Amino acid sequence: MEALAAKTNRQAKNGKKKDAASPALKAILHLVLWVVALLQIFPLIWLINYSFLKSGDFFGSGILKWPKTFEWNNYVNAFNYGSVPKFLLNSVFITTVTILVAAFLALMLGYAFTRMEWKLRGPAMAFIMLGMIVPIHATLLPNFILFDKLNLIDNPLSLILPYIAFSLPISLLIISGFLETIPKSIEESAVMDGCSVYGVIFRIIMPMTKPAIATVCIMNFISWWNEFIMANTFLTSETFKTLPFSIMKFTGQYSSNYGAQFAVMTIIALPTVIIYLLFTEQMSRGITAGAVKG
Amino acid sequence: MSNRITIFWLVAPGFMLFLFMVCFPIIMSAYYGTTNWTGIGAYEFVGLENYQKILFHDSVFWRSLLNALLLLAATLLIQHPIALLFSIFVMHAGKLEKWFRAIFFIPAVISIVVTSKMWVSVFHPNFGMLNKLLEGVGLSTWKQDWLGDSNIAIWCIIVVVMWQGFGYALLLYYAGLQGIPKDLYEAAELDGAGRVKLYTRVIIPLLSPMVRVAVVIAVTACLKQMETVFLMTNGGPANTTQFIGNYLYKTAFSSSLYGYGNAISVVFVIICLIITVAMNKAFKKDVGEF
Repeated sequence: MEALAAKTNRQAKNGKKKDAASPALKAILHLVLWVVALLQIFPLIWLINYSFLKSGDFFGSGILKWPKTFEWNNYVNAFNYGSVPKFLLNSVFITTVTILVAAFLALMLGYAFTRMEWKLRGPAMAFIMLGMIVPIHATLLPNFILFDKLNLIDNPLSLILPYIAFSLPISLLIISGFLETIPKSIEESAVMDGCSVYGVIFRIIMPMTKPAIATVCIMNFISWWNEFIMANTFLTSETFKTLPFSIMKFTGQYSSNYGAQFAVMTIIALPTVIIYLLFTEQMSRGITAGAVKG
Repeated sequence: MSNRITIFWLVAPGFMLFLFMVCFPIIMSAYYGTTNWTGIGAYEFVGLENYQKILFHDSVFWRSLLNALLLLAATLLIQHPIALLFSIFVMHAGKLEKWFRAIFFIPAVISIVVTSKMWVSVFHPNFGMLNKLLEGVGLSTWKQDWLGDSNIAIWCIIVVVMWQGFGYALLLYYAGLQGIPKDLYEAAELDGAGRVKLYTRVIIPLLSPMVRVAVVIAVTACLKQMETVFLMTNGGPANTTQFIGNYLYKTAFSSSLYGYGNAISVVFVIICLIITVAMNKAFKKDVGEF
């Protein structure tokens, strides 16, 4: 490894002179990056663009169109026909409860697994990690029957419980990975001063683990805010449906109202994009931590 | 002693929930998988009949696996090399480095309901964007009912899934590149053939642990593919775009073969476990040099 580094260092020194004439290459590089970046976000641009058009304007050959007048009315219709306020509230409620409880449970588990000595902690942690392999879809059928028997079909708990359970492996992984980097001496001195275990966890460990907890919450927010298959299976009436279902309301009676459909899609897409852009660093950290250790 | 009680209270809530919501359902599936239950009314125990049928007489099940394999091949041979290349490009993007990284990831954070709906309208035979585009550049003869054609639909699905996962793959490789000692990069200010050599001979080989991780993730992700298919084609036309997740769902809820669907579910979990364990074993041998 060191020999390798030394070798490339030499290469670097030899290569330095050639480097000077690279603005053209840099320009090409940026061009290529821009083209692919546009391909990646084009859909978002397209959604927003079409959400401001009149329904009649969609046909014809243009791909992006400058609206003659901005049809804010599409958003009004989206709110009304798509039940956006109700579904949005449901989503907020279900996701908030999920990410808070998941972070809380993962912190307790993480503390017990990294800080306390007990016989079964290795197998127990490995067991929870198995959850990363189990496909969510394989639990859909049995959980449907289970919730049916427990009278939980069409109840927010039928989503919250599995959401939390499936959040645990990755959340635990990130939190315990982070805990391992915190020196134990801080807690030891707190215990000396008469602090209980719960005191240590919530007054000392929790504030110090904030970055990891933030990462976990944001990752879980994005996956459960967008979750569709479980919601589609376990919710049968509209009472607790989540935001993705707003778009499903446009399959029947209002299916020809394209403007409102695009407005709904924009409304569904934007919250996660904004949250993601605000917390890009935390997300990237979580994903790479999860990947490398998983 | 009190320590034990504390450990119990710390571990029990999360552990029990996990047990109840993830493990218990699989055991339930294994039980229902041995019955011919339709979801309502009485049912009989049929032993391993369902499992036998899945493995030896169910062409849709095997088609689902084949589709996962096709998706995996496309992911590893097309998406990952491009993502790796672009992770290097992004590193050299200067001030815009973070922005590019963020933009490439955006499709992965948009709700699948939205992206799927959107792609359905891109592929729409009458007013879809793709057909419009082909007409615009004078290739009208190429116009298709993209998702309605049993030979083409699976490739459309593959394109969509690759598009969605591109940023994720890029991010993994980007993180791997960040983990390589900095002095190697001082040598790698983008330029000319010397740099290409540096990357192909030094940096990319050093990245191999991350490549292994990315391969493991890709394999499980391809196997678990469901949502995009569910929303775009629901496995059709004629099951040519079927994936296991969607197949078991459809079997249980649309065809009312609840017992059989559960059996597929169990086989699905077993396949996931075997593949993950096997890959971890195979790759673990030569990790540790990094």
